[in-house]
Amino acid sequence: MIETDGLLKTYGSLVAVDHVDLHVEAGSVYGLVGRNGAGKSTLLGLLAGLRRPTAGELHIDAGSREIAVLPDTPRFDPWLTGEEVVGLAQELTSSSTDRVAEVLSDAGLGSAAKRAVGGYSRGMLQRLGIACTVVGSPRVVLLDEPASALDPIGRRDVLDLVARLRGSATVLFSSHILADVQEVCDTVGILDQGRLVFQGSLEDLLVGSAVPRYVVRFRSPLDSVVATMQHLDWVLEVEQTDGPGELLITVKSLDDAEARLVRVLADAGASVISFVPEEVSLERAFLAVTS
Amino acid sequence: MTLWRLEWLRLIRTKRWIVLLGVFLFFGLVGPFTARYIGEIVSFAGGGAQGISIEFPPPVPADGLAQYSSNAMQLGTLVAVIVASSSLAFDAIPEMGIFLRSRVSEVRTILTPRFVVSTVAVVGSYFVGVVAAWYETWVLIGAPDAGAVMIGAAYGAVFLIFAISLVAAMSGRATSVLGTVISTIVVLLLLQVIGVVEVVGRWLPTHLAGAITALVAGDTSSTHYLGTVSITLVACVVLLWIATKLAEHREL
Repeated sequence: MIETDGLLKTYGSLVAVDHVDLHVEAGSVYGLVGRNGAGKSTLLGLLAGLRRPTAGELHIDAGSREIAVLPDTPRFDPWLTGEEVVGLAQELTSSSTDRVAEVLSDAGLGSAAKRAVGGYSRGMLQRLGIACTVVGSPRVVLLDEPASALDPIGRRDVLDLVARLRGSATVLFSSHILADVQEVCDTVGILDQGRLVFQGSLEDLLVGSAVPRYVVRFRSPLDSVVATMQHLDWVLEVEQTDGPGELLITVKSLDDAEARLVRVLADAGASVISFVPEEVSLERAFLAVTS
Repeated sequence: MTLWRLEWLRLIRTKRWIVLLGVFLFFGLVGPFTARYIGEIVSFAGGGAQGISIEFPPPVPADGLAQYSSNAMQLGTLVAVIVASSSLAFDAIPEMGIFLRSRVSEVRTILTPRFVVSTVAVVGSYFVGVVAAWYETWVLIGAPDAGAVMIGAAYGAVFLIFAISLVAAMSGRATSVLGTVISTIVVLLLLQVIGVVEVVGRWLPTHLAGAITALVAGDTSSTHYLGTVSITLVACVVLLWIATKLAEHREL
């Protein structure tokens, strides 16, 4: 479990982390989302013990050797082999069993294990960093943008690996790739200008940010439909999307839409191709929370 | 793979050991040769071209070791500082610092092998240079006093340990290898300048750098340096304590 209470980190007048109350359940996968410069890396640094908080408290239910950290662009001495780097990581975490070959293989680096890491690509270094992170079977894993440098296959592998850690380790990973967070996280925290503006389940975030909205596609011209809809008191907004003949209609409630929208469109003589409630994406929810 | 083996591999695979050993061995071989044939070298270089005759006194064993000591303690120390900085400034690349720092409970676990391996490599190379200079001086000029050479070499080694300790302390403040090298060299040069004042200079670590020359020449006794050695060793301990504290307080 990771818990912080009023965690504050300032650099002079700059507030990097602003009274953050983080709560990460043991064994869960927590996604920390935020724009560049939102304070994600600083917060991870504080949790990893690499930075000292200005104020506030933090509690991590693991010893210092049971916490593994992966920076966003891991780097290693270029004259070491991949096997030696992971071996060093294992030695420093006092792991009793030799898992070097196993984790290198899991990270897709089995064939490159004996090569000097100076010749590794950025994606391979990221995979090596992940291998180092998991080799000591840590109880808490802090990952800073772990999939940012990877190709689609590598990204898939990392997400699978993170998903596999669920239950055996508490994982907190920061990302601005919202699809990754949506795929593997149980809980989401949104950081904006150092403040934790949302913390909860993905479902809560999506439902809480949801506005009843319909996407309607027409074969007929839109002008008369738009004019008709704009005068209805239960319609909040009608906007034309980039899609051809497509309108986004925001209503006060789903009940209103279900009871009246179809009839109004029929009365207006509109030729409707499709009519679907808009699915709230994490991206839209994120923008709603941070705007 | 341990942190000790990591430092050993750093020395071997990056060829730092060749650089260190090469520099000290080179000066160890060239120093006595220069002392023995300085007259011939100057004549060959055209020193008497305009009818001017330069007479050099016959070389004595102290000259051979003086040449070595002079070069080794200047250029040799510079190379030693660069090599030690590249190891001791382990936060110079933050991502590498994070890899190590997040896996140890105390930062001295990282610092100790780096300091010890760097020091052993530097002092070992210095001793190899001393042996080379000693042998060549014996062959070309005459046998220097063995006791004076050994005690003088030990004092020189204490100075080099001080220089590496200074690197360790400076690496706690500087954010790069270059910054560590420059700040260390500046402090060493300042000590040299202050050392010009004899009453102060004889107590400074830099005073030990010329001990081997003075002892072999018989200009002073070996006990003359004991106070300086004590001060230098205390300074080393203080510098290593500072290095540890600065590294502990550094944020990445």
